[in-house]
Amino acid sequence: MTKMSGMATRLLGGAAIVATALWMAPHPVQAQNSAGVSGRVQPGLWIDPDGCMHWVADGGVEGYMEGRVNPHNGMPVCLDVNTCAVANSDVLFHTDSARLTHAGRAHLEQFFRSAGAFAYAIYGHTDSRASDEYNMRLSQRRAASVANVARGVGARVAREIGYGERRPAAPNNSAANMQKNRRVEIVCYR
Amino acid sequence: MKTVLKTSALLGCVILVSGCVESFEGTTRATGNVPVRAVGEDFGRDSGSLSRLQAGIYIDPDGCHIWMIDDGLEGYWSRRRDPVSGLPVCTAVAPPNSIIGDITSGSDFPDRVPRSANR
Repeated sequence: MTKMSGMATRLLGGAAIVATALWMAPHPVQAQNSAGVSGRVQPGLWIDPDGCMHWVADGGVEGYMEGRVNPHNGMPVCLDVNTCAVANSDVLFHTDSARLTHAGRAHLEQFFRSAGAFAYAIYGHTDSRASDEYNMRLSQRRAASVANVARGVGARVAREIGYGERRPAAPNNSAANMQKNRRVEIVCYR
Repeated sequence: MKTVLKTSALLGCVILVSGCVESFEGTTRATGNVPVRAVGEDFGRDSGSLSRLQAGIYIDPDGCHIWMIDDGLEGYWSRRRDPVSGLPVCTAVAPPNSIIGDITSGSDFPDRVPRSANR
């Protein structure tokens, strides 16, 4: 039931994004002189098993496909499908440290034993307190701690990266939001 | 010898006809100044919205994953990227140039493969 409603939310989210895209996109002919425009494409969106979107179009007897990207940062545009786990750093680690708590280690071992992916990508994040440089180092060491637990139970680690405070999940304007940003994200490569 | 010829002629026909059905049904010559060259629907034999497509994974020569779909007369592929970091996914699930999983989306359209590589 939860799974179903989650699916519905994802689909709704997808529909909302598509609607926004159509609304925002200026009509190519209106936006500039139509000279030079030799044709048009009305693509569909295909969503891959990781949740990322691809533009797709059937040209009769040809097919075209390309990953959808965010025009500002080049990142793929994805629904929240394949973040296998987001662990709060306050639970996993001692304060300001990459040393795992007893409970944090147990939780991670259990996760990596049961998730069943071929490999894992591990991303550490901090809130915006302290310097950017300090946060980059801390998040890198925290990602490495989690990766070591994974390897310890025989899981394959594809990459371990610290992004410091540079990729916040929420604006750093309240204690609750800052706690959301102190996290380790694990992506499963199935 | 005659039977063989007949059979192969018949096979050729079947393949030709399925190809013709797809190319006649739902396609037309490009007309007007600004024709719509491609759309997000397949109006051919295996018609439907392209969002229903199911992909397999092709491991490219560098070892990185590409979503690959064979939709009858059309083929599609697009790079697999990690949804969090945006980086390519290059885990060694199989040797380069392997295909993992079913790329045909359950289509019953008879697939044609290059003769030069399948002698």
